[in-house]
Amino acid sequence: MLRFSKILFYFTVIFLLLWQLPWCYNFFTAKSSKSGFVLYSSIIGDFVITGQQEGKDGKEGKIVVRRDLSGHKYTQDEVDSILPMFYCRQLMSDERFPDSINGVEVTPRLVQTENFVFKIAPTDLNTPHIGLYPLLESMSGRVELEMPKDVFRITNKGIEFVDMATNSIESAKSTLFTEALTKKGFHFPAIEITGNPTTRKEYDEGYVLLDVNRQLFHLKQVKGRPYVRIVDVPHGVELKHLFITELKSRRTLALMTDKNYSLYVLTAPYEIKKVAIPSFDPEKEAVSIIGNLFDWTLRITSQEEDNYFAVRSDDFSLIKAMKNPTVEETLAQKIGNYIFPIRISFTGELDNFVKPRI
Amino acid sequence: MFKAIFYKEWIKTRWYLLLAVATTLGFAGYSMLRISRVVDLKGAEHVWEVMLSRDVIFIDLLEYIPLLVGMLLAVVQFVPEMQRKCLKLTLHLPYSQLRMVGAMLLYGLLVLSFCFAANFFLMALYLHGVIAAELEQHILLTAVPWYLAGITAYLLVSWICLEPTWKRRIINLTMSVLLLRIFFLSVTPEAYNQFLPWLLIYTLLTASLSWLSVSRFKVGKQD
Repeated sequence: MLRFSKILFYFTVIFLLLWQLPWCYNFFTAKSSKSGFVLYSSIIGDFVITGQQEGKDGKEGKIVVRRDLSGHKYTQDEVDSILPMFYCRQLMSDERFPDSINGVEVTPRLVQTENFVFKIAPTDLNTPHIGLYPLLESMSGRVELEMPKDVFRITNKGIEFVDMATNSIESAKSTLFTEALTKKGFHFPAIEITGNPTTRKEYDEGYVLLDVNRQLFHLKQVKGRPYVRIVDVPHGVELKHLFITELKSRRTLALMTDKNYSLYVLTAPYEIKKVAIPSFDPEKEAVSIIGNLFDWTLRITSQEEDNYFAVRSDDFSLIKAMKNPTVEETLAQKIGNYIFPIRISFTGELDNFVKPRI
Repeated sequence: MFKAIFYKEWIKTRWYLLLAVATTLGFAGYSMLRISRVVDLKGAEHVWEVMLSRDVIFIDLLEYIPLLVGMLLAVVQFVPEMQRKCLKLTLHLPYSQLRMVGAMLLYGLLVLSFCFAANFFLMALYLHGVIAAELEQHILLTAVPWYLAGITAYLLVSWICLEPTWKRRIINLTMSVLLLRIFFLSVTPEAYNQFLPWLLIYTLLTASLSWLSVSRFKVGKQD
């Protein structure tokens, strides 16, 4: 017994040292690394990078530098003009907003409707989920959305609505929705259920779901009745993750990824288009999309890489790609890697779980 | 002998246990009352909505209570043992020393488990009627690491109390603080789900550390 106690004691000491020493070292040597703001400009056909740079002799502190990939530098006013969709409000304020962009007539209202920012982080997926989902009424006739009085769960047998006030199952509604789903070919249970159940949005598109056969469905509640739509998925595509978009423009319904890490857009009405980027793994990479009428700038960030892609907003074909130079390891980091070849941590950047990781 | 040890420990800790059960049940009951009040004021729907959309679990108050209860039980049980030199007498009894120390720790584990189980029973009883099974499970699973921390704290503080020298006690204390920190690394509900079985196994293994202190006591280590 004493031997076992000693082994446990020394094991614990080593375990704690492998956890705490690298943590302390990082705590005292960590430095922030800022990457610039990058956006594709359809006016100049290039990425515009806004970043900070040391002034001359380091005396002027950090100055803001705006440039494109060929090295041409721009003033703030010039950047406003070459990114008219993004700086629309500034151009309006300066009375410089153009009547047309790329030969297309534009109005500030149109630009603001088409502009969007959409972000997906690995922590959105790798986090504990509660299997209960509120299904909003998507056509109530009122301008404001309202949270429903019930939530649904999807079991092996069907969809169950639970009344929140009484904590009891609404049999009639559950049967109605189960029958509607079954009639459209849905096989229970669902392996992916994605929606955005909040009233802080302009409209509601309900949920996109994958049934047990990975068949894609769209479910929403219209005037208290189920709206179910089966969506044809291109042959050979096995969808894995879904992200409902509910953008102001209503041009897209969801973003989706498949088992081969391809990114797809489910457009309205129900057409699946592949985004021409090499790969995107939402379980390990974050994406932020800044989109407008003409193009989307996608930033895909992993722990190793930081890549930018510009794609057309109609067919999602690739316009241009840019790889952000990875920030070089500092001397302190290099020394840290040498001193601590093995580290233990309990939390990570890619998920919200606590578990030991080496 | 088991009965005698259990009786001795019961005499030593009964008033503290009454206080511990009353305190933990009081906090657990108050947390349930808070939910009940929200139900009365804003309706049960509000409880469901904030749990689903904002990661609210309503029992945050309980977070460090099991930890304190576990630590204090070890203090109440083992500090008098060391101060009055009772451990020395106990170890001289004609019975397996390992079994006697094991029985003392087992007593502590059993009463602590009873106290914590009463908390879970109270919470499950109330929550079952108000919220869906998924939400009930969400709340209770979030609380599991806190209660496990209470049990670990009991075993680690026992280890510290039984240690005969101050130098080693400080080392044990430092290790215990770091080990207990592991139970409180995240505020995300259910963040420990995958880690719980390992935490449970390690918690049970920490019972063996007390034997290290007792062995040092037996060989006469002192300041």
